[in-house]
Amino acid sequence: MWQYQKKLQFPVHIKNPDPKAAKIIITQYGGPDGEMSASLRYLSQRYSMPYNDLKGLLTDIGTEELAHFEMIAAMVHQLTRSMTEEEIKRSGFDTYFVDHTAGVYPVAASGAPWNASYIQSKGDLIADLHEDMGAEQKARATYENLLRLIDDPDIREPLKFLREREIVHYQRFGEGLRLATDRLNSKNFYACNPSFDTPCGKGTTCP
Amino acid sequence: MSDKNRLLQRIHAYDFTILELGLFLDTHTDNARALSARQQAQAERAELVCEYEEKYGPYILTSDDVAGDRWSWVDHPWPWDYRRED
Repeated sequence: MWQYQKKLQFPVHIKNPDPKAAKIIITQYGGPDGEMSASLRYLSQRYSMPYNDLKGLLTDIGTEELAHFEMIAAMVHQLTRSMTEEEIKRSGFDTYFVDHTAGVYPVAASGAPWNASYIQSKGDLIADLHEDMGAEQKARATYENLLRLIDDPDIREPLKFLREREIVHYQRFGEGLRLATDRLNSKNFYACNPSFDTPCGKGTTCP
Repeated sequence: MSDKNRLLQRIHAYDFTILELGLFLDTHTDNARALSARQQAQAERAELVCEYEEKYGPYILTSDDVAGDRWSWVDHPWPWDYRRED
């Protein structure tokens, strides 16, 4: 289960509305490499993870991603408060506004709604951990693209924090992959699927 | 920034340190330095939370912390509701 803590992981204090920025930042809410994708990916992959330490890693990172999901929503919310109709039209936010007003809804910057095909839970820990490392890099690149396009320091600070978290998570998943492969036959990691075949690992005979 | 918010920010920094060391420990379960750094951060955080609570009332983290004759869980500003005066 989870328990809610009534605070953001990193403060989001945006003074000036900016619907144009909201329209691109929302991609980290409901886009392919966004925080919803990240959280659901890791929290779903936990169940076929055979190693306890890596169950912990997927749980802890998946949980932190929920906190990031909340930060992005807070940013979109603060950027779209007290917009004028003129600002809505001028910013291009009108295409979002007609469907969701100033509500927060998981879509990509293009407007495509969040889709489970953005993520995978392969039931094979080597495939899953590689996907997770790739996902962290894709999210980092998305934050860097956002930082290229946004100047307001109130918006940049939380985006910079989130970008740094992607790098830390990538590092931890890389260590997780190393821990997993060290436990398998180093001559052939693919001799068996430790998420499915038991026993599987050093000193065991695999199909 | 008010004294209250400055203290709050220090507690939040400890919260982050504790989380970050936890992630590190997931892949370094026997690392003595990280374990002791996390324990020390927890102890220092507890002192700051005491100081905060003596001055300003509960540092509400979860609904379990609600005390008194009102369900104050719903009262406090929600985290995404930043106002200029905060």
